[in-house]
Amino acid sequence: MAAAAAGSGTPREEEAPGGEAAATQAQAPTTAPGARLSRLPLARVKALVKADPDVTLAGQEAIFILARAAELFVETIAKDAYCCAQQGKRKTLQRRDLDNAIEAVDEFAFLEGTLD
Amino acid sequence: MASSSGNDDDLTIPRAAINKMIKETLPNVRVANDARELVVNCCTEFIHLISSEANEICNKSEKKTISPEHVIQALESLGFGSYISEVKEVLQECKTVALKRRKASSRLENLGIPEEELLRQQQELFAKARQQQAELAQQEWLQMQQAAQQAQLAPEIALETRQETGAVTPGGGEVRLIHVKTSS
Repeated sequence: MAAAAAGSGTPREEEAPGGEAAATQAQAPTTAPGARLSRLPLARVKALVKADPDVTLAGQEAIFILARAAELFVETIAKDAYCCAQQGKRKTLQRRDLDNAIEAVDEFAFLEGTLD
Repeated sequence: MASSSGNDDDLTIPRAAINKMIKETLPNVRVANDARELVVNCCTEFIHLISSEANEICNKSEKKTISPEHVIQALESLGFGSYISEVKEVLQECKTVALKRRKASSRLENLGIPEEELLRQQQELFAKARQQQAELAQQEWLQMQQAAQQAQLAPEIALETRQETGAVTPGGGEVRLIHVKTSS
Protein backbone atom coordinates (compact mmCIF):
# COMPACT_ATOMS: atom_id res chain seq x y z
CA MET A 1 0.00 0.00 0.00
CA ALA A 2 1.41 3.39 -0.89
CA ALA A 3 2.06 5.72 1.98
CA ALA A 4 -0.04 8.42 0.42
CA ALA A 5 -2.22 8.87 3.46
CA ALA A 6 -0.56 6.75 6.06
CA GLY A 7 -1.52 7.40 9.62
CA SER A 8 -2.24 11.07 9.56
CA GLY A 9 -5.59 12.26 10.74
CA THR A 10 -5.31 15.63 9.07
CA PRO A 11 -6.86 15.82 5.62
CA ARG A 12 -4.54 16.92 2.86
CA GLU A 13 -6.15 18.93 0.12
CA GLU A 14 -3.76 17.60 -2.48
CA GLU A 15 -4.72 14.03 -1.67
CA ALA A 16 -4.58 11.87 -4.75
CA PRO A 17 -7.41 9.44 -5.11
CA GLY A 18 -6.29 5.87 -4.60
CA GLY A 19 -3.08 5.35 -2.74
CA GLU A 20 -2.54 1.81 -3.96
CA ALA A 21 0.72 1.35 -5.79
CA ALA A 22 -0.86 -0.76 -8.50
CA ALA A 23 0.71 -0.15 -11.87
CA THR A 24 -2.50 0.67 -13.62
CA GLN A 25 -3.73 3.27 -11.24
CA ALA A 26 -3.04 6.71 -12.55
CA GLN A 27 -3.28 9.93 -10.60
CA ALA A 28 -6.04 11.23 -12.80
CA PRO A 29 -9.47 10.11 -11.71
CA THR A 30 -11.40 8.05 -14.15
CA THR A 31 -15.11 7.66 -14.02
CA ALA A 32 -15.37 4.44 -15.97
CA PRO A 33 -17.99 2.20 -14.43
CA GLY A 34 -16.40 -0.29 -12.11
CA ALA A 35 -13.10 1.56 -12.43
CA ARG A 36 -10.63 0.11 -10.05
CA LEU A 37 -9.42 3.52 -9.13
CA SER A 38 -11.15 4.22 -5.87
CA ARG A 39 -11.83 7.78 -4.88
CA LEU A 40 -10.75 6.83 -1.43
CA PRO A 41 -7.12 6.48 -0.51
CA LEU A 42 -6.67 2.78 0.08
CA ALA A 43 -3.96 3.21 2.66
CA ARG A 44 -6.37 5.21 4.77
CA VAL A 45 -9.14 2.66 4.37
CA LYS A 46 -6.72 -0.02 5.48
CA ALA A 47 -5.68 2.06 8.46
CA LEU A 48 -9.30 2.47 9.46
CA VAL A 49 -9.93 -1.25 9.22
CA LYS A 50 -6.88 -2.02 11.32
CA ALA A 51 -7.90 0.52 13.93
CA ASP A 52 -10.36 -2.10 15.09
CA PRO A 53 -8.52 -4.06 17.77
CA ASP A 54 -10.36 -7.24 16.87
CA VAL A 55 -9.17 -7.20 13.31
CA THR A 56 -5.97 -9.08 12.75
CA LEU A 57 -5.52 -9.25 9.01
CA ALA A 58 -7.40 -7.91 6.04
CA GLY A 59 -6.52 -8.92 2.51
CA GLN A 60 -5.76 -6.35 -0.14
CA GLU A 61 -8.74 -7.24 -2.29
CA ALA A 62 -11.02 -7.01 0.71
CA ILE A 63 -9.77 -3.46 1.27
CA PHE A 64 -10.42 -2.63 -2.37
CA ILE A 65 -14.00 -3.69 -2.28
CA LEU A 66 -14.60 -2.12 1.08
CA ALA A 67 -13.35 1.16 -0.35
CA ARG A 68 -15.70 0.80 -3.27
CA ALA A 69 -18.58 0.01 -0.93
CA ALA A 70 -17.79 3.14 1.07
CA GLU A 71 -17.86 5.16 -2.12
CA LEU A 72 -21.26 3.76 -2.98
CA PHE A 73 -22.39 4.57 0.53
CA VAL A 74 -21.33 8.19 0.19
CA GLU A 75 -23.06 8.47 -3.17
CA THR A 76 -26.22 6.94 -1.79
CA ILE A 77 -26.46 9.03 1.33
CA ALA A 78 -25.64 12.19 -0.60
CA LYS A 79 -28.40 11.51 -3.09
CA ASP A 80 -30.87 10.66 -0.35
CA ALA A 81 -30.01 13.82 1.52
CA TYR A 82 -30.39 15.82 -1.65
CA CYS A 83 -33.92 14.53 -2.07
CA CYS A 84 -34.69 15.89 1.39
CA ALA A 85 -33.24 19.26 0.44
CA GLN A 86 -35.35 19.36 -2.69
CA GLN A 87 -38.45 18.55 -0.67
CA GLY A 88 -37.61 21.49 1.52
CA LYS A 89 -37.24 23.52 -1.68
CA ARG A 90 -33.65 24.31 -0.92
CA LYS A 91 -30.74 24.24 -3.28
CA THR A 92 -28.09 23.86 -0.66
CA LEU A 93 -27.59 20.54 1.04
CA GLN A 94 -27.53 21.03 4.74
CA ARG A 95 -26.74 18.92 7.71
CA ARG A 96 -30.35 18.40 8.59
CA ASP A 97 -30.91 16.81 5.19
CA LEU A 98 -28.39 14.19 6.11
CA ASP A 99 -30.02 13.74 9.48
CA ASN A 100 -33.35 13.19 7.78
CA ALA A 101 -31.89 10.73 5.35
CA ILE A 102 -30.31 8.81 8.20
CA GLU A 103 -33.60 8.62 10.00
CA ALA A 104 -35.53 7.62 6.92
CA VAL A 105 -33.38 4.71 5.84
CA ASP A 106 -33.23 1.61 8.02
CA GLU A 107 -29.75 0.64 6.94
CA PHE A 108 -28.45 3.99 8.11
CA ALA A 109 -29.60 3.39 11.65
CA PHE A 110 -26.03 2.70 12.68
CA LEU A 111 -25.33 6.35 12.01
CA GLU A 112 -27.77 7.67 14.49
CA GLY A 113 -25.83 9.56 17.06
CA THR A 114 -22.88 10.17 14.78
CA LEU A 115 -21.85 13.49 16.06
CA ASP A 116 -19.51 15.97 14.52
CA MET B 1 1.91 15.73 7.70
CA ALA B 2 2.54 13.30 10.51
CA SER B 3 0.99 14.23 13.80
CA SER B 4 2.98 13.12 16.78
CA SER B 5 -0.14 12.59 18.86
CA GLY B 6 -1.80 10.56 16.12
CA ASN B 7 -4.56 8.57 17.68
CA ASP B 8 -5.91 5.72 15.63
CA ASP B 9 -9.43 6.65 16.58
CA ASP B 10 -9.11 10.08 15.05
CA LEU B 11 -8.63 8.62 11.63
CA THR B 12 -11.09 9.59 8.97
CA ILE B 13 -11.25 9.55 5.24
CA PRO B 14 -9.66 12.75 3.96
CA ARG B 15 -12.10 15.56 3.45
CA ALA B 16 -10.88 16.23 -0.09
CA ALA B 17 -11.75 12.72 -1.21
CA ILE B 18 -15.25 13.04 0.18
CA ASN B 19 -15.67 16.45 -1.40
CA LYS B 20 -14.71 15.05 -4.73
CA MET B 21 -17.21 12.22 -4.44
CA ILE B 22 -19.99 14.56 -3.40
CA LYS B 23 -19.17 16.81 -6.31
CA GLU B 24 -19.34 13.96 -8.75
CA THR B 25 -22.56 12.62 -7.31
CA LEU B 26 -24.27 15.99 -7.03
CA PRO B 27 -22.70 18.31 -9.53
CA ASN B 28 -23.84 21.92 -9.25
CA VAL B 29 -25.26 21.40 -5.79
CA ARG B 30 -24.09 23.52 -2.92
CA VAL B 31 -23.29 21.59 0.17
CA ALA B 32 -22.92 23.17 3.57
CA ASN B 33 -19.65 22.61 5.33
CA ASP B 34 -21.10 20.94 8.36
CA ALA B 35 -22.98 18.60 6.05
CA ARG B 36 -19.69 17.62 4.43
CA GLU B 37 -18.16 17.06 7.81
CA LEU B 38 -20.99 14.73 8.68
CA VAL B 39 -20.51 12.77 5.47
CA VAL B 40 -16.86 12.29 6.31
CA ASN B 41 -17.78 10.91 9.70
CA CYS B 42 -20.55 8.72 8.32
CA CYS B 43 -18.17 7.26 5.80
CA THR B 44 -15.72 6.43 8.53
CA GLU B 45 -18.48 4.83 10.58
CA PHE B 46 -19.55 2.82 7.59
CA ILE B 47 -16.08 1.41 7.13
CA HIS B 48 -15.89 0.49 10.79
CA LEU B 49 -19.31 -1.13 10.61
CA ILE B 50 -18.57 -3.28 7.58
CA SER B 51 -15.09 -4.25 8.62
CA SER B 52 -16.29 -5.20 12.06
CA GLU B 53 -19.01 -7.41 10.64
CA ALA B 54 -16.63 -8.84 8.05
CA ASN B 55 -14.19 -9.61 10.82
CA GLU B 56 -16.80 -11.57 12.72
CA ILE B 57 -17.72 -13.50 9.62
CA CYS B 58 -14.04 -14.14 9.06
CA ASN B 59 -13.54 -15.47 12.56
CA LYS B 60 -16.47 -17.81 12.15
CA SER B 61 -15.01 -19.11 8.95
CA GLU B 62 -11.81 -20.04 10.77
CA LYS B 63 -9.78 -18.01 8.33
CA LYS B 64 -7.21 -15.57 9.57
CA THR B 65 -7.51 -12.94 6.87
CA ILE B 66 -10.59 -10.98 5.94
CA SER B 67 -11.38 -11.89 2.37
CA PRO B 68 -13.53 -10.13 -0.21
CA GLU B 69 -16.11 -12.81 0.34
CA HIS B 70 -16.35 -11.86 3.99
CA VAL B 71 -16.87 -8.23 3.07
CA ILE B 72 -19.59 -9.18 0.63
CA GLN B 73 -21.37 -11.25 3.21
CA ALA B 74 -21.08 -8.40 5.67
CA LEU B 75 -22.67 -6.01 3.18
CA GLU B 76 -25.50 -8.46 2.67
CA SER B 77 -26.19 -9.03 6.31
CA LEU B 78 -26.14 -5.31 7.13
CA GLY B 79 -28.64 -4.41 4.45
CA PHE B 80 -26.26 -3.14 1.80
CA GLY B 81 -26.84 -6.00 -0.56
CA SER B 82 -27.56 -3.53 -3.34
CA TYR B 83 -23.88 -2.60 -3.37
CA ILE B 84 -22.78 -6.12 -4.01
CA SER B 85 -23.00 -6.26 -7.79
CA GLU B 86 -20.88 -3.14 -8.25
CA VAL B 87 -18.47 -4.24 -5.61
CA LYS B 88 -18.01 -7.52 -7.43
CA GLU B 89 -16.95 -5.59 -10.52
CA VAL B 90 -14.04 -4.21 -8.56
CA LEU B 91 -13.09 -7.71 -7.59
CA GLN B 92 -13.15 -8.78 -11.21
CA GLU B 93 -10.86 -5.94 -12.18
CA CYS B 94 -8.49 -6.80 -9.38
CA LYS B 95 -8.11 -10.28 -10.70
CA THR B 96 -7.73 -9.12 -14.29
CA VAL B 97 -5.04 -6.62 -13.39
CA ALA B 98 -3.21 -9.11 -11.21
CA LEU B 99 -3.26 -11.59 -14.06
CA LYS B 100 -1.98 -9.02 -16.54
CA ARG B 101 0.81 -8.04 -14.23
CA ARG B 102 1.91 -11.61 -13.80
CA LYS B 103 1.81 -12.18 -17.53
CA ALA B 104 3.72 -8.99 -18.23
CA SER B 105 6.54 -9.80 -15.85
CA SER B 106 6.96 -13.30 -17.23
CA ARG B 107 6.83 -11.98 -20.77
CA LEU B 108 9.67 -9.61 -20.05
CA GLU B 109 11.82 -12.30 -18.52
CA ASN B 110 11.24 -14.64 -21.44
CA LEU B 111 11.95 -12.19 -24.23
CA GLY B 112 14.28 -14.82 -25.61
CA ILE B 113 16.98 -12.40 -26.56
CA PRO B 114 20.11 -12.77 -24.51
CA GLU B 115 21.64 -9.68 -23.03
CA GLU B 116 24.77 -9.61 -25.22
CA GLU B 117 22.62 -9.63 -28.31
CA LEU B 118 20.50 -6.76 -26.97
CA LEU B 119 23.70 -4.84 -26.27
CA ARG B 120 24.93 -5.44 -29.76
CA GLN B 121 21.68 -4.21 -31.25
CA GLN B 122 21.91 -1.12 -29.12
CA GLN B 123 25.40 -0.35 -30.37
CA GLU B 124 24.19 -0.76 -33.92
CA LEU B 125 21.41 1.69 -33.38
CA PHE B 126 23.79 4.21 -31.87
CA ALA B 127 26.19 3.88 -34.78
CA LYS B 128 23.41 4.36 -37.25
CA ALA B 129 22.17 7.42 -35.46
CA ARG B 130 25.65 8.94 -35.40
CA GLN B 131 26.04 8.32 -39.09
CA GLN B 132 22.74 9.99 -39.87
CA GLN B 133 23.73 12.97 -37.76
CA ALA B 134 27.01 13.28 -39.60
CA GLU B 135 25.35 13.11 -42.97
CA LEU B 136 22.84 15.72 -41.96
CA ALA B 137 25.55 18.05 -40.79
CA GLN B 138 27.44 17.50 -44.01
CA GLN B 139 24.38 18.40 -46.06
CA GLU B 140 23.75 21.56 -44.13
CA TRP B 141 27.38 22.60 -44.58
CA LEU B 142 27.16 22.04 -48.32
CA GLN B 143 23.94 24.04 -48.54
CA MET B 144 25.53 26.92 -46.71
CA GLN B 145 28.51 26.86 -49.02
CA GLN B 146 26.25 26.93 -52.02
CA ALA B 147 24.30 29.81 -50.60
CA ALA B 148 27.57 31.65 -49.97
CA GLN B 149 28.67 31.13 -53.55
CA GLN B 150 25.38 32.38 -54.89
CA ALA B 151 25.62 35.41 -52.72
CA GLN B 152 29.00 36.24 -54.19
CA LEU B 153 27.66 35.93 -57.71
CA ALA B 154 24.63 38.09 -57.06
CA PRO B 155 25.48 40.67 -54.46
CA GLU B 156 22.37 42.75 -55.09
CA ILE B 157 20.18 39.90 -54.04
CA ALA B 158 22.35 39.39 -51.01
CA LEU B 159 21.98 43.07 -50.20
CA GLU B 160 18.21 42.92 -50.51
CA THR B 161 18.05 39.91 -48.32
CA ARG B 162 20.19 41.57 -45.74
CA GLN B 163 18.02 44.62 -45.72
CA GLU B 164 14.86 42.58 -45.49
CA THR B 165 15.86 40.27 -42.82
CA GLY B 166 18.66 42.15 -41.27
CA ALA B 167 20.45 38.87 -41.16
CA VAL B 168 24.08 38.42 -41.76
CA THR B 169 24.47 36.57 -45.05
CA PRO B 170 27.34 34.34 -45.91
CA GLY B 171 29.91 35.91 -48.15
CA GLY B 172 28.95 39.36 -47.02
CA GLY B 173 29.70 38.89 -43.41
CA GLU B 174 30.55 36.16 -41.05
CA VAL B 175 29.84 32.60 -41.83
CA ARG B 176 28.15 30.88 -38.98
CA LEU B 177 29.55 27.50 -38.43
CA ILE B 178 27.09 25.00 -37.10
CA HIS B 179 29.20 22.82 -34.97
CA VAL B 180 27.90 19.30 -34.87
CA LYS B 181 29.42 16.88 -32.46
CA THR B 182 30.34 13.70 -34.19
CA SER B 183 31.79 11.32 -31.69
CA SER B 184 33.53 8.42 -33.19
